[in-house]
Amino acid sequence: MSIAFVALIILWWALMVYAVLGGADFGAGVWDLFALGRNAEKQHDLINHALGPVWEANHVWLIFLIVGLFSVFPTAFSVLSIALFLPFSIVLIGVVLRGAAFVFRYYAVDTEGFFAHSWSRVFSATSLITPFFLGISAAAVASGQLINSSGIPDATDVSSMTTPFALVIGLMSIVLCATIAAIYLVVEAHDTEKDEHLTASYRLRAIIAGAVTAVLGALGLALSISEAPMLWQGMVARAIPLIVVTMVLGLATAVSLFFNHYRLARILIILETVFMLATWGLSQYPYIVPPRFTIANSANESSVIQALVIGIIVGLVFLLPSLYYLFSVFKLPYPVPGLKRREVEKQQQRRPGQKQESALS
Amino acid sequence: MEDLLAARAQMGTSLAFHIIFSALGVGVPLLLCIAEGLALKTKNPVWMMLTRRWARATAILFAIGAVSGTILSFELGLLWPTYIKFAGAVVGLPFMLEGFAFFLEAIFLGLYLYGWDRLSSRAHWLCSFPIWISGLASSWFIVSVNSWMNTPAGFQVRHGQIVGINPWQAIFNPSTPYETVHMALACYVVSGFAVAAVYAFGMLFRGRRAEYYRKGLLLGMLMALIAIPLQIVSGDFNARFLANYQPAKFAAMEVVYHTQSGAPILVGGLVDTKTDTIRYAIEIPKGLSLLAYWNPDATVKGLDQIPRVNWPDPALVHPSFDGMVSIGFFCLFIAVIFWGLYLLRKRQLPMQRLMLLGVFVAGPLSFIAMELGWMVTEFGRQPWVIYNYLRTADAVTTAPFLNISFFVFSLIYVLLAVALVWLLQKVVHRPLPQVTLSEDGYEVQEPVIEKVGA
Ligand code: HDD
Ligand code: HEM
Ligand code: HEM
Repeated sequence: MSIAFVALIILWWALMVYAVLGGADFGAGVWDLFALGRNAEKQHDLINHALGPVWEANHVWLIFLIVGLFSVFPTAFSVLSIALFLPFSIVLIGVVLRGAAFVFRYYAVDTEGFFAHSWSRVFSATSLITPFFLGISAAAVASGQLINSSGIPDATDVSSMTTPFALVIGLMSIVLCATIAAIYLVVEAHDTEKDEHLTASYRLRAIIAGAVTAVLGALGLALSISEAPMLWQGMVARAIPLIVVTMVLGLATAVSLFFNHYRLARILIILETVFMLATWGLSQYPYIVPPRFTIANSANESSVIQALVIGIIVGLVFLLPSLYYLFSVFKLPYPVPGLKRREVEKQQQRRPGQKQESALS
Repeated sequence: MEDLLAARAQMGTSLAFHIIFSALGVGVPLLLCIAEGLALKTKNPVWMMLTRRWARATAILFAIGAVSGTILSFELGLLWPTYIKFAGAVVGLPFMLEGFAFFLEAIFLGLYLYGWDRLSSRAHWLCSFPIWISGLASSWFIVSVNSWMNTPAGFQVRHGQIVGINPWQAIFNPSTPYETVHMALACYVVSGFAVAAVYAFGMLFRGRRAEYYRKGLLLGMLMALIAIPLQIVSGDFNARFLANYQPAKFAAMEVVYHTQSGAPILVGGLVDTKTDTIRYAIEIPKGLSLLAYWNPDATVKGLDQIPRVNWPDPALVHPSFDGMVSIGFFCLFIAVIFWGLYLLRKRQLPMQRLMLLGVFVAGPLSFIAMELGWMVTEFGRQPWVIYNYLRTADAVTTAPFLNISFFVFSLIYVLLAVALVWLLQKVVHRPLPQVTLSEDGYEVQEPVIEKVGA
């Protein structure tokens, strides 16, 4: 196994983490759009609480991906930068306005005022646009038609991004994000806020969004036969078991939501997303950008990749415990050092109840 | 606008915007750490009030730093694909390590900002250490990349291919020690003066005199006082380094058109690039030879030794350099007078209007010095993006609509800046949090309106 392949797996893993964490972030923005009426204030609060401490960390994965890609596959990256200039410029505007909008809204003194309200709208709009164009870009790469056989990229050639396949994948990305977010928010509403009404409403949304994701996914699969033939062939040749697992996981998510096992549903939707991306990865192996750039012909020198991988490992040694600590303090019910005494007591009170629930699921 | 120009303008705008927030992101967390430490040690609630207020501002600034940094990491590819193919291959490692440093910073900032109610006061304070340490580390890594662009190292070019890459040599390229130190110091200079200027403003124009304001001013000025002399000394090292390693930049900085021995220092003046002369400059005879080589008769290499196509534009580099240096000395002057008065008056904070005005002015000026310093570095490297290896004109993307892109991103910056200023002045005008001591550390009552927002 080449070191470039190891690095690629790490990058793919980062993509999965970004999809699961950042995706939930986008999805929360989508639901923010639908937070209307009597309950709107409560829903905004729920979303703010869920995102507040972690949104910034969630988006560093995207940076990590970009940096990793240009360090490990510099040639492929520079070609992608040109070919995807337009969609990525839009993604960039989306990410930027979204991040800014979230903070502006969060720290606005008057949450009802014009300032907070306008940024709220920006937040929702960009939460729709960004995953859509990310999905389109991914589909364009996967279709193998982004770059013609000469290998010279052309930013004005958007034909591979406007195919029905690309559009369906773009839409599916939005709905998938919405599904992930809805399930996270169900857990949050149920466990932290203990609000029956919100829980029920997000449970319903999760089921509906999940169903739409499944339909779009199936449609994308069908379209790929004619529009992304390389992807399709790779899938048939190597990834059928993964597709089956993905589908089963999707069903299992719906079932566990239906029977109110929210925490289980959260794990299942994470796995589902991971498997979906793994399917894509395995199907287009060994291409980075089909049909021209493979792992072998676009990887950086192996000594450099080795240094990068060592750097990543050293980085992770610092990072993972810190990340675990972050999530423990804000999201997980297990004891960690450094908590206030009264928080520890609160945790202890909460835990027996949760034990029962997990015993049920 | 021509595409190359549009791309350069967009890159320059983005960096000039980002650097403001990243410098504060390096400097202010150290102030937070000190203030909170003092609060825990002295049990004086005023330190805690300062900490809380700065933390709120930091949250907003950090977020803008993060989004503007995101823009940059995209832009490196979107605008300069050829550059990133080259740089990614050689200096990907520091970019990557910088990413980890950001990540750690973001994590602990999340803990710090949202963990007031959950973490014990000691654990909370400890969380501030990783923030300023990783902030410093990230600035070190990214500036090492910039140093590499100035003095490329750690690779060979054979038949147009980059081979024999040694990432460690690339990171520790010749200008790394100079640039990284000078930049780290700049972060502390601007953060110190920025904080001091805010309180000087409050005292000057709002008649504030409370302990809260005095302590804020004091701590800001302390950081500034320590950093600014070091900054100037390190800048002198940078200049002497350039004389040997980037003679074109050095010659443009000091407007040396003709190679000469016993070269003078030219301060100010108008550079005329048509006739290659400078007018109205103040001349310090033999000054340049003396400063650069410790020898009044040393020979200084002029632009005439460099092919004209490889010249940076002295009309941009020279005024930028002079601006930075003059502001540097002005800031030093303010800091020294301030602390001189403080010590003379038996530890009474100097409150004279003129003194406060000076501090207030030094705040924005120090930022301008930092921006100008970057102009020296970046314009002085032209026409190369990777010195002697890749021309800026060859690095730019083939994608169209670059002027539209520049326009859109400029609009975004204006929008962000306006919203940010509006929000920050709200934070400043909000009633102070009430801090009381309790056995569990500190109890903080934020004013009621705050509860609505958070
Ligand atoms: C607070 C800001 C500040 C202040 C007061 C100064 N500088 Fe500076 N300077 C910077 C902030 C800065 C900077 C923005 O941080 C730069 C840009 C690149 C770098 O590494 O630091 C810089 C670059 C820079 C360079 C170019 C380095 C290169 O291109 O490799 C030189 C020669 C100097 N400085 C010299 C000085 C001198 C002689 C100063 C004496 C007063 C001085 N600086 C004050
Ligand atoms: C943060 C402070 C910085 C500022 C204010 C700054 C400023 C600028 C400016 C004004 C330009 C336009 C140059 C011109 O038009 O002549 C530019 C270009 C550029 N800078 Fe910097 N720069 C900074 C740091 C960096 C760093 C750390 C890097 C490297 C990672 C970098 C990489 C580039 C690149 C790739 C370009 C485009 C090519 C060029 O025009 O030379 N800059 N920057
Ligand atoms: C081409 C140049 C640069 C690029 C590509 C870049 C990239 C980034 C990115 C992606 C982030 C956001 C990380 C996050 O999400 O947390 C960021 C933030 C940051 N950057 Fe830059 N950056 C550049 C120049 C600089 C320079 C010159 C400094 C030097 C001081 C710097 C210091 C920081 C710091 C301290 C942060 C943390 C955010 C904050 O505290 O405001 N960056 N940068």
